[in-house]
Amino acid sequence: MNKTLDELNKIFIDVVDEDDIVLNESTTAQDVEDWDSLNHIQFVVAIEKHFDIKFTSAEIASWQNVGAMVSAVEHKLS
Amino acid sequence: MEIGLVNVGDEFNEEFVLSEETHEGFMKVFKDRHPLHTSTKYANKYGFSSNVMHGNILNGYLSYFVGECFPLKQIMILAQDIKFSNPVYLGDKLLLVARVAAIHQSVSVVELSCRFTNSKAVTVAKAALSLRALTEMDVKEL
Repeated sequence: MNKTLDELNKIFIDVVDEDDIVLNESTTAQDVEDWDSLNHIQFVVAIEKHFDIKFTSAEIASWQNVGAMVSAVEHKLS
Repeated sequence: MEIGLVNVGDEFNEEFVLSEETHEGFMKVFKDRHPLHTSTKYANKYGFSSNVMHGNILNGYLSYFVGECFPLKQIMILAQDIKFSNPVYLGDKLLLVARVAAIHQSVSVVELSCRFTNSKAVTVAKAALSLRALTEMDVKEL
């Protein structure tokens, strides 16, 4: 698993408190039962804190799947 | 956006006195009459000087602070984590200091770091809150 994807997976597990969730780059919110709008907000907050980065609302709105999130994080860190 | 009314580092203070009315009201509503909260003799047995107030009364104070005192009005609590470090007794005067710890503009979230101290300046609880500033779209959905 991509290192960033692995870290996002761990963060997401912590947010939704479900140990058996495995995200991949094509995963979308519709694929995960616990990925509701409030968890999405908390997921973004947790990502920003974990990586010490900030997104814009436009960036977040452009994400189509977890792969886009991985790319966005890696772009911020590069 | 309303979230711009606060900045990281802003601090807000609010005082509370844990009154008999609050203690009785909490027990009336939530039915928790555990002897730790009602019996001095029982509390003494476990090393407390008197019956201990329910820790979740402090959660109520946080709710009051967010809903009635915090400058952002179109807001809701997303998450709240509280740790109790020392007992609170009937009649204690508590000072809540709430500091804006972080702002996540992208999702309109404000994080608060809160501390309750008693009149002896002893910390009785610390709490972390995530608040979501409601957007116009959110408000329309309500």
